[in-house]
Amino acid sequence: MNEVSSIREKFSVEFVKEELLRTAYGNGDTFLARLDPRALIYWYLFFGIAPWFIHNKMILSGLLVFMVVTTVMARTSPLIIIILCTGLLGEIAFLFFISLFFGGGFESVLPMFWLTVKLAVISLASITVFSSMDPERFGDALLSMGLPSQVSFSIAFGYRTLPTLMEEFHQIFLSYRLRGKAPDSHGFLYWRSIVYFMKILVVSFYPLLLNGAKRSRTTVEALETKGFSYAATDSKVKKMKISYMSFKWSDYGFLTASFLYVVVVFWLGSVVQI
Amino acid sequence: MRSKPLIELENVTFTYPGVEVPVLTDVTLSINEGDFTAIIGGNGSGKSTLCKTFNGLIPQFYVGEFEGRVIANGLLAEDQTVAQLSKNIGYVYQDFDNQLLRPTVIDDVCFTPLNYGLQDHKERGEWALKVTGLEDLRDEFIWQLSGGQKHLLALAGALAMKPKILVIDEPIAQLDPQHAKRIYDILRNLNIEYGMTIIVIEHHTEFIANYCREVILMDKGRVLWKKTTKEALSRVAELMKHQIYPPQVTQAAQRLGIDMGKDDLYPTTLDEAITHFTQQAPSYKELRKHEPLHEEVKLRHQPIIQFQEVSLQYRTLKKTVKHALTDINISCYEGDLITLVGNNGAGKSSLIKLITGIMRPSQGDVLIQGINTRKATPEKLSDFVSYVYQKPEEMFIDDSVRKDIEYYLKARKVQDYEVLVEKLLEDFSLVDIQHQDGRLLSGGQQRRASLAIGAAMNPSIILLDEPTANLDIATKKHMVHMLNKLRKHVKLVIVATHDMQLVSEWANRVIVMNQGRIMCDGDKHTVFGNNVLMEQAGLVPPQILQLSQRLKMEVPCHTVEEFITIWDQEGANLERSIEYT
Repeated sequence: MNEVSSIREKFSVEFVKEELLRTAYGNGDTFLARLDPRALIYWYLFFGIAPWFIHNKMILSGLLVFMVVTTVMARTSPLIIIILCTGLLGEIAFLFFISLFFGGGFESVLPMFWLTVKLAVISLASITVFSSMDPERFGDALLSMGLPSQVSFSIAFGYRTLPTLMEEFHQIFLSYRLRGKAPDSHGFLYWRSIVYFMKILVVSFYPLLLNGAKRSRTTVEALETKGFSYAATDSKVKKMKISYMSFKWSDYGFLTASFLYVVVVFWLGSVVQI
Repeated sequence: MRSKPLIELENVTFTYPGVEVPVLTDVTLSINEGDFTAIIGGNGSGKSTLCKTFNGLIPQFYVGEFEGRVIANGLLAEDQTVAQLSKNIGYVYQDFDNQLLRPTVIDDVCFTPLNYGLQDHKERGEWALKVTGLEDLRDEFIWQLSGGQKHLLALAGALAMKPKILVIDEPIAQLDPQHAKRIYDILRNLNIEYGMTIIVIEHHTEFIANYCREVILMDKGRVLWKKTTKEALSRVAELMKHQIYPPQVTQAAQRLGIDMGKDDLYPTTLDEAITHFTQQAPSYKELRKHEPLHEEVKLRHQPIIQFQEVSLQYRTLKKTVKHALTDINISCYEGDLITLVGNNGAGKSSLIKLITGIMRPSQGDVLIQGINTRKATPEKLSDFVSYVYQKPEEMFIDDSVRKDIEYYLKARKVQDYEVLVEKLLEDFSLVDIQHQDGRLLSGGQQRRASLAIGAAMNPSIILLDEPTANLDIATKKHMVHMLNKLRKHVKLVIVATHDMQLVSEWANRVIVMNQGRIMCDGDKHTVFGNNVLMEQAGLVPPQILQLSQRLKMEVPCHTVEEFITIWDQEGANLERSIEYT
C-alpha cells in the first residue's frame, strides 16, 4: 500500500508539472546551455534532419553514440528519457505486431531496429537542444534569424502559460471528481475505473478551453497596453532584444568539434560495414 | 498641486452592440495631475468601463457605439493608438494574473520599457522592483510567486514606464490585511514622492478614507458626483443606497449624530473617530461594567471531523521541502460555524483540501465521520463533504448554471432532483440566469452559483474558500445571508477567509493559522481580544471593534449595531447617574 501511494505521489500532476518546467527552464548551468542559442539551432538543423536520409548503419551508430553523450551533457530530466524509451519500445512492438498481422515474422525486427535507431538519434538531438535552451533564448534566436516578433513572443508566452493551464486543468479535473461518482467496483483489470478517469481527463479540456478563451481577453489587452505592437514596428527594439547574444569561442569550438566528429563517422561508415 | 487636468471626458457615452442601455451615459469628468482618486459604485456600475476609456481600450478594443471626447495627458484619445496612450498610463487589471506575460520577474517588469525601445529599460525594471519591494525575487519564475507577489509584480510592470497616470482595478480584493496595507503604502509613496496620478477602483471604504483624496461615485453608467474623500464618505445614507458601505466608524458616527462640528462631516478614519467619540463621552471610564455577551454553549457530541497529529509536506520546484501543515490536532462538531483565518500562505487551503480527500496527510490521520481519508476517494467523501472553490470558474464544468447544479444529482441518480434544483435556484436568486454559462456571469452571480452548486450536494459538511472575496458590500451582505441559510441544511460549515467582518458577524468558532500551525482555536472574543496573537497572525480586527477597544468600552463591539446599542445604553446609564446626583 505504501509503495503504491509513493508511486502515485511521484506521478502526481505536481511532479509532471515540475519536470516539464525543469526541462524547459531548469538547466541553465550546463556547457550546452551557455552556448549561443543560434549555435544550437544550426547544430540541430543538421542532427535533427540529416539522419532521415542516412541508411548507413555505421554512421547511424556513430551519431547515436554522440547524441547519447550530448544528452548526458544536457542533464536531461529522467521523466523525459522514460517517456522517450517507452515511446521507442512501443513503436517497435507496435510495428512488429502489425508486421505479424501481415504475415511477417521475426526477420522484420532487424530493419525496424535500425529505423528505431534513426528515430532515437533525432529524438535525442531534439532533447539535447530543447532542454539546453530555454524558450526565451529559443524565441530570441528565431527573432535574430529574421522571424517576426510575434513568433518569438508566442513561444515564450506558450511556456509561461503552461503551469497556469496545468494548474487549472488539475482543478477542473478535481471538480469532476468531487461532484462525480466513481464506479462502485473497479471491474476486471480496473477497466471501469480506467474508463471513468479517461472520460473525465477528456471532458476536463472543455471548461479549460472556455476559461482560457475568457482569460486571453485580458492578455490581448495587456499586450497592447504594454506596447507590444509598438515594438513590432520598431527595428531598434528588435536589436535591443537580441543584443545579449553573441558567438563566442565556445560556440565555434562546439560546432567545429561536432563537424569533425561527423567527418570521422562518415569516413568510418565508408570503410567499415556493419 | 491644483494643476492642470490630466484626464478629461466630455459627454462620453458607450453602448455595446445589441444592447439598449449604454454602459456609460453622458460622462463628463476631469481628473487633475497629482490626484489620488477612488472610483466607487456597485457591481456593474461601469467603473472598469470608464477606466478603459482613458487609454483608448474603449472604443478601440471593444466594439460598440462611442460618442464624446476623451483627452488623456493632453492628447485626444481617438487620434492615438492604445500603445501610444499607454506610454503614460499604467493599467493594472483585476485579473492581474493574465497580465504577466513573461516567464521571469525581471523579464516581465522590463517588458514594457523594452517594447518602447527605451535604452534604460533594465534600470527602470530594477527601479520598479525596488519601489514594490520585489528585488529579492528578481530571478524567480512568475508561477512560483504567491498571489500577493503576483499582484505587486503586475503593479511593478505598470510602474516601469514611470507613467503619469496609474489605474488599478481593485488593488486589494484578494489580499490579507497586511499585504493590502503594503500595496496602499506603495501607492501613496508613488503619489507623493513621484507625483503620479493614481486612480483606484475600490470597494473598501476604510482604505479610501486612509489613502485617497477624492472619490467619484458611479451608478448605472453615470458619474453622480466627484467629492473630497471626507465629504464623499460622510454621505452615509446616499452611499448605502448605492450599495456601498462607508467605514464602520462613519456609519456609527452618523447614526449616533457625532459629527465633526460642521457641514455634516463625520469621522472617517479610526484616529478621527477616537478623537470625536472621546469628546462626546468624557466620563466613559466610570461607567459600570457590562457582562460580556457570551455565545450559547454548544453540546459536544461525537466529532464530525478529526485531525490527529496531521502534518503535510511537499517538494517545491527547487527540490526543497515545504511544510504546509505541522502538528494539526482539531475536532469539529455538529453546529460549528468555523472561520479559518491567517495570512496568505498560512495553510488554510491545505487544511481544507485534506478534508475533501484531494490531498492526503504526510503524517497523521484525518477522519471524516469516522472514515479515514487515506482509505476513501474524493468521490466517496463527496457523499457528505462539499467544497466550494475560491475561483468559481473552476467549478463550472457544464454549459449552464442549472446544469452545473444538476451535475452531482444526476451522477448519483437522485430521484426527483428537479424539485431540489428549483428550490436552490430560487434560494440563491439564480432563476433568471439559470440557462446562462457560469463563466459569463458577474463576480457576485458567479459566487452565488458556486454556493448553489455546493449546496446541491446536500452535504453534512460544507467547505468554502474565500466566499466573500471580490464582492461589493451589498453582494457580500447577501452572501452572509446565504451562509446563514446554509446553517439549516448542513451540520458543519468551515470558511477560509480574510474578511474579519464575516468572522464577527457569522462565526461561532475561529481558528487562527500561521505558517502551517494552529495558533489559536476559540471564539471571536478570545481571538480579537488577544492583540499579540492578532499581530503575529497578521490580522486586523474590524474597525468598529478597534474603536470600542480604544475607547476602553467594557464590552467589545463586533458590529456597528452592537456598538450603537451599547453606546446608547451607556449614554442612558450616564444620564440616569446624572439625574440621581
